[in-house]
Amino acid sequence: MTAAVIQTRGLSKRYRRVSALSDCTITVPEARISALIGPNGAGKTTLLRLLAGLARPTAGEMAVLGGTPRQDPAFLAGIGFLAQEISLYKRFTAQTHIAIGAHLNHRWDAVSVRDRLRSLNIPLDRPAGSLSGGQRAQLALALTLAKRPRLLLLDEPVAALDPLARRNFLAQLAEAVAVGGLTVVLSSHLLADLERVADHLILLAASRVQLCGDIDAMLAEHQVLVGPRKPTTAIERTHTVVQAIRADRQTTLLIRGNAPVLDPAWESAEVGLEEMVLAYMSQESMGQDAAPANSHLTTVGEEK
Amino acid sequence: MISFRVDGRSVVPPYLQIVQQVRQALRMGLLDVGDKLPAVREVVAATAVNPNTVLKAYRDLERQGLIEARAGHGTFVLKRPPGPPPGTHSRLGRSLARWVRQAREAGLDDESIESLLRVTLRAAAEEEEIA
Amino acid sequence: MTWLTWRQHRVQLYLAAALLAAFAVVIVISGRQITAQFHDAAATCAAGQGCRHLGGLFMGSHVVGFLVIATLGAPLLVGMFWGAPLLAAELDTGTIRFAWMQSVTRGRWLAIKVGWLMLAAAVWGGAISALVAWWYSPANNLAPEQFNPGRFDLAGIVPVAYALFAMALGITAGALLRRTLPAMAVTFAGFVAVRVAIVLWLRPHYTSAVTTTYNVIRGYTPPGSYWQLAQGVHGPGGKLVVVGDNEPVLGGIPLSQLPSSCARAGNTVPASCQQALAGFRGFITYQPADRYWAFQGIETGIFVLLAAILLTVTALVLLRRDV
Repeated sequence: MTAAVIQTRGLSKRYRRVSALSDCTITVPEARISALIGPNGAGKTTLLRLLAGLARPTAGEMAVLGGTPRQDPAFLAGIGFLAQEISLYKRFTAQTHIAIGAHLNHRWDAVSVRDRLRSLNIPLDRPAGSLSGGQRAQLALALTLAKRPRLLLLDEPVAALDPLARRNFLAQLAEAVAVGGLTVVLSSHLLADLERVADHLILLAASRVQLCGDIDAMLAEHQVLVGPRKPTTAIERTHTVVQAIRADRQTTLLIRGNAPVLDPAWESAEVGLEEMVLAYMSQESMGQDAAPANSHLTTVGEEK
Repeated sequence: MISFRVDGRSVVPPYLQIVQQVRQALRMGLLDVGDKLPAVREVVAATAVNPNTVLKAYRDLERQGLIEARAGHGTFVLKRPPGPPPGTHSRLGRSLARWVRQAREAGLDDESIESLLRVTLRAAAEEEEIA
Repeated sequence: MTWLTWRQHRVQLYLAAALLAAFAVVIVISGRQITAQFHDAAATCAAGQGCRHLGGLFMGSHVVGFLVIATLGAPLLVGMFWGAPLLAAELDTGTIRFAWMQSVTRGRWLAIKVGWLMLAAAVWGGAISALVAWWYSPANNLAPEQFNPGRFDLAGIVPVAYALFAMALGITAGALLRRTLPAMAVTFAGFVAVRVAIVLWLRPHYTSAVTTTYNVIRGYTPPGSYWQLAQGVHGPGGKLVVVGDNEPVLGGIPLSQLPSSCARAGNTVPASCQQALAGFRGFITYQPADRYWAFQGIETGIFVLLAAILLTVTALVLLRRDV
C-alpha cells in the first residue's frame, strides 16, 4: 500500500452559522491525480485551503504530507497551492516573480519556469497584469511547479483557459506527475478533462464527501439497472441505491455494491464517470434519502 | 517514434486505445521489432492522459508479450502480434481504395459504404461460424 | 525576504527620499537666510532683555507655518501611505497567498517586512525633526519655547515616536480592515485623535506641576523654557481674580478692583496702592524647564508602547487568520 499523502477525519469548517465543510473524511494516496468535484458552494475551495494550511478547521483532524499543516519552511516547501483567483503581483514581470521564488524557497528550479514560458510564447518581461487569463494561469502553474512540491492543490485552475490552453496545462501537470514525486488534487467543473487526466476522485456535495477513491475501482462498484416498474426492496437489501428514477413503466437505478444482481428482470450496464458523478450530485438537489448513512464515507482502491 | 492519439469521446477506454494503436502500428509496419516506444512521460505530455493509463497500456502489451521494459533504457518492441506480414496491409489497403473509388462513382456516400461493410463483415462472421 | 521587501517598496522609498530631499532644500535655504538676518540683528541689539524679541523673527517667518504642518503631518504621511496599504493591499488582492505559499513562514514574512518599514519610518521621522531642529536652533538659545505644545512636538525624539506610532496604526488598520482606503481613513482619524488626546489630557500630568505664588508687584517668571499650564491672581480670601477683555490691569488685577491711586502707578507705586496689592497673590502653575527631556522620554515611551501593542495585535490576528 502506497503512503497516503492526504488523510483527513471528520474535517469541518464553519463560518458563524454557515457550514462550509462537514465531517470530511478522505484519503489521497501518493502519485494520484485526484479530481475534486462538486457543485458550487459544496466546499471544494474550503477543503483545498484547509489542506494548504491557509485556513484552520473548526473540527476534525488531518495529516498532509505526514503532518498537520503548519508554519514550517520544510512543510511549506512541499505544498503548492493555486487559488482560483490567480494571486500574482500585477505590477511584477514573470522574471521578477521567478526572482521572488528564488529568494523565498530553498528548492527552486528557475530554468524550468523560463523554459516552460518560452515554449508557450509567454513574455518574461511584461507585467503579470497585462498578460491574458490563460497566460497568467500558465505562469502561476509554472511558478508553483518550480518549487518542486510533493503535493499540488489546484482550485479551478483551468476555468479561464481556452481548450488548447487547458489541454497544455493538463498535459504539463500529468507530465510532472509522471516524472515522479508529485501528487495532485485539482478541482474543476469540466468532467471531460478530469476523466482523461485523473485517476482518483473526491466528490463533494452539500459540504459533505459523497465519494472518495480511485476512479476505476469506483466505476467498477457502480452499475445502472434498467427494468420494469416494480418494487426495489430486494435490490436495496444487497446494494446501495444512489439514484432511482421511476417512470410510468420503467425503473432506472444507479446502484453501488459488489454483490451480483441475480434478478433477471434487471438489465445491467456499466456506468461512466459523468453519469455517476451527476447521480450523486443530483441526489442532494432532489433531497433524496436514497443513501443510508454509512454509504458515502468509505474509501476504495488504496491498494494498487 | 509512434505518436498516440487518445479520443476522450470514444467508448473505448483510453488505455485500450493506446494498446490498439501499438498493435495497429505493429501490424502496418510503422513500428518494428526493436523499436523504442515513447516514455510514459512523453506520452502523457502529448496526450494529457493520466500516467497510470499509459502504464496500464504498457503493462497490458507486456503481458501480451509484444513489448519489454529494459530498466534504464526504455521500453522496446519484442515481437509483432500474430497476423499477416506488414506488406499485406498496404496491399489490401490499396485495393480497398480502388473499391471505394468505384463505390463513390456508383453514387454511395460514406454512410452507405460503412453499413455495406458492416453487413458484409457480419455475413462473413456467420459464414465462418457455420463452416 | 529582505530583498522582497525592498523590491515591493522601493518606489515608495525613493519617493520618500525625494520628498525628504526637497524638504531639506527648503529648510536649508530658509534657515540660512533667517540665521543671517538674525545674526545681523543680534549684532545691533543690547544683550539680555532687548534681544529676546529677536525670537519673534523666527516665529513670524512664513516658513514656520509650513514647518509646523510638515512636521505634524510627516508621521501621518508615513502612516497613511506606507502603513495602511502595507498589509491591506496584499490582503485585498490576494497576493499575500502567493508569498505565504512559498517556503517562508507567515511570522518571518511579517517580521521582516514590518521591521524594515518601521525602521524606515523612524528614520524619516527623525530626519524631518533633525532638519526642523536645526532651523530653530538660533531661536532656541534666545526665546526658549520648546516646551510648549506645538514646539514640543516638532523637536527632540518624539517625532520619531509619532512616526512609529502612525506606521503601526496604519499597518494594524490595514490588517484588520483588509482594504486600503478604509485603513487610511482610520489611520488619519486615529492618529489625530490620539495625538490631540495625549497633548490635551495626558501630557500636562506626566509629572505633577509646580505651583509658585509670588508678589504681584514684583512678578515672577520661571527660568528657562518652562511650560505654563495656568497663571493668575488670587484675591483676598483666596478668590480667583477674573479679568475681562481689554480691561486695564495692574499686576494682573483689574483697576476696578483697586483703589484709584493704583491708576496713577508708574515706576513707583503709591503706598495706598501697595497696601491694597498686598492682599493679592499671583500664582503660576507650570512644568519646569529641566523636565523637558523627561517629558520627551515619557511621551516617546508612550507612543512606542502604543506602536508595540498595535503590532502585537496585528501579529496575533494575521498569523492565525484564514486567507
